[in-house]
Amino acid sequence: MPDLHTSVGAAIFLATLAVIMIRPYGVPEAVAALGGAALMLAGGFVRPAEAVTLLVNDWNVYGFFLGMMAISALADQAGIFEMLAYRAGQWGRGSGMRLYLAVFAVGAMITAFLSNDATALILTPVVYALATRLRLAVLPFVFACTFIADTASFLLPVSNPINILFMDACGGNLGEFLHHLLLPSIFCIGFNIAVFAWLFRRDLRMSYDPALLPVVDLPDRRYYNFTVVLLILVAVAYVAAAANDFPLSIVALSGGMLLFAGAARYRCLDMAKLGKEISWSLFAFITGMFIVVRAVENLGLTTSFGGWLTGLAGDSRLGAVLIIAACTALGANLINNVPMALVMISVLGAMHAHPVNRALVYAAVFGADLGPNLTTVGSLATMLWLLILRRKGLEISTLEYFKLGVTVVPIMIMAGSLLIWLNL
Amino acid sequence: MRIICAIGRRGGPELIGRLAEIVGGHAEWLMLHVIDKGPRHDLEDFLRGPLHRRPDHGSPPHEMALDEAEETAGRAAVDEALAAARQAGLKAEASVRAGNPERTVVEFASEMQADLIAISGSEGAEGHPHMGPVSVGHTARFVIDHAPCDVLLFREKDRSGIL
Repeated sequence: MPDLHTSVGAAIFLATLAVIMIRPYGVPEAVAALGGAALMLAGGFVRPAEAVTLLVNDWNVYGFFLGMMAISALADQAGIFEMLAYRAGQWGRGSGMRLYLAVFAVGAMITAFLSNDATALILTPVVYALATRLRLAVLPFVFACTFIADTASFLLPVSNPINILFMDACGGNLGEFLHHLLLPSIFCIGFNIAVFAWLFRRDLRMSYDPALLPVVDLPDRRYYNFTVVLLILVAVAYVAAAANDFPLSIVALSGGMLLFAGAARYRCLDMAKLGKEISWSLFAFITGMFIVVRAVENLGLTTSFGGWLTGLAGDSRLGAVLIIAACTALGANLINNVPMALVMISVLGAMHAHPVNRALVYAAVFGADLGPNLTTVGSLATMLWLLILRRKGLEISTLEYFKLGVTVVPIMIMAGSLLIWLNL
Repeated sequence: MRIICAIGRRGGPELIGRLAEIVGGHAEWLMLHVIDKGPRHDLEDFLRGPLHRRPDHGSPPHEMALDEAEETAGRAAVDEALAAARQAGLKAEASVRAGNPERTVVEFASEMQADLIAISGSEGAEGHPHMGPVSVGHTARFVIDHAPCDVLLFREKDRSGIL
């Protein structure tokens, strides 16, 4: 029977997660997380000094998030996304299906090097405008962007900020990352493309006139060229840094600062716009969640959860990989993938003695990145899907979407887990 | 007789040709294309979400690019239909409006005191995953249910039945 202290701590944790999930009265996630953290500090579940040390030690995460968002925003200001969409239109050569594949390729590339958010949030409206202008059905292309943002999220450590949370806490380098996740990644991207190409086959049979492609109006050609060169250098530096355990935040922040300097040099800098493009509330959210999750860790709850998961898997290595991936994916759905990732990091810390602990770390990365596609809660892509279809109304219901999600994503999770296990 | 032709992003000339075969040239033809702002607004609302705040997409240049793309595509669709109608010697006019397509078509028909609405059965079905039998798109279905006048529904020629 847990004592009162543990029960109160667990209650604060669950209440925080509930507010994040339900968002009563529109309470922002960041406020919920900070509120939970304040209660944990007030209740003595985390000492203030411990909280400060914890946050200071996570400087790499904060720096990476800031640098990553700044790079995406500045690349957007240079016209990179419009130009890539235009190139996709050229590669399509008038065929809807070829354009679709080109959008997937561009989405995968942007996700790999600029993160999933850049694809879902910046590329999506650009592709929307492109498909509209070419008089093609818009929704398949919008879905392509939002889904590839998730399925290409585990190509590289920098492809999803969640990966950085894991890498920062659990260690690991590019070689290990690719060893465990390259095959699942290739499988999930291929599967995603094939399933969507089949689902939207009628719309993708359409052709378009390449002459309708819009001329990209770049703010400044020199700044654009500068940005292209710099992004290539940043991509190379990311790979080199990840391979050599060099902090990725330094690469991201340096890239962001150089792009910032370039924008200023070519008089393309819009400070107000840049400030708005960076999601400052994300920092507050992560800060709150770091403290809340540390509190449950201090109470020993994550250790108990880890012990339970270990017991559930028994001696089976495949079972352990599957359980961690599926459990993380489910949690990422129910709450949000940031808190779920932090809980799993703590759980994996408690399972350090497990014979395949390193593979389990990557199984958790896989689950946290891919899982949000499963149901209607917790994912950017699925929320978008539902928001659009709710308005459009009749052809596909929530239930139909749910059927698609629970058919496709578990196949990906099972096949991906199997591939991780085969590579042990 | 006044006929409203609901022109989608594509297929306008084909609709006009097939309709002219049925009703002949003794009518007043009004071509209407509606720019569907729904998905775009949903997209923008989503992008302004608390943790994924991107107000930029509610302002230039993306806003301008989206407006321009929708205008260009809509205008091209009605111009194409209008050219087909005039080539067939029909008395036709064109209009582009923005809003909810199904409601706008019905309201336009009331406003113009139309006698007939001609619409393709696939209107409103584009972009939806084909996961089961679909009879008509949601725009066409709404128009059938709520039109203040008769409705003539055109089916796609290459429909292959279920799925």
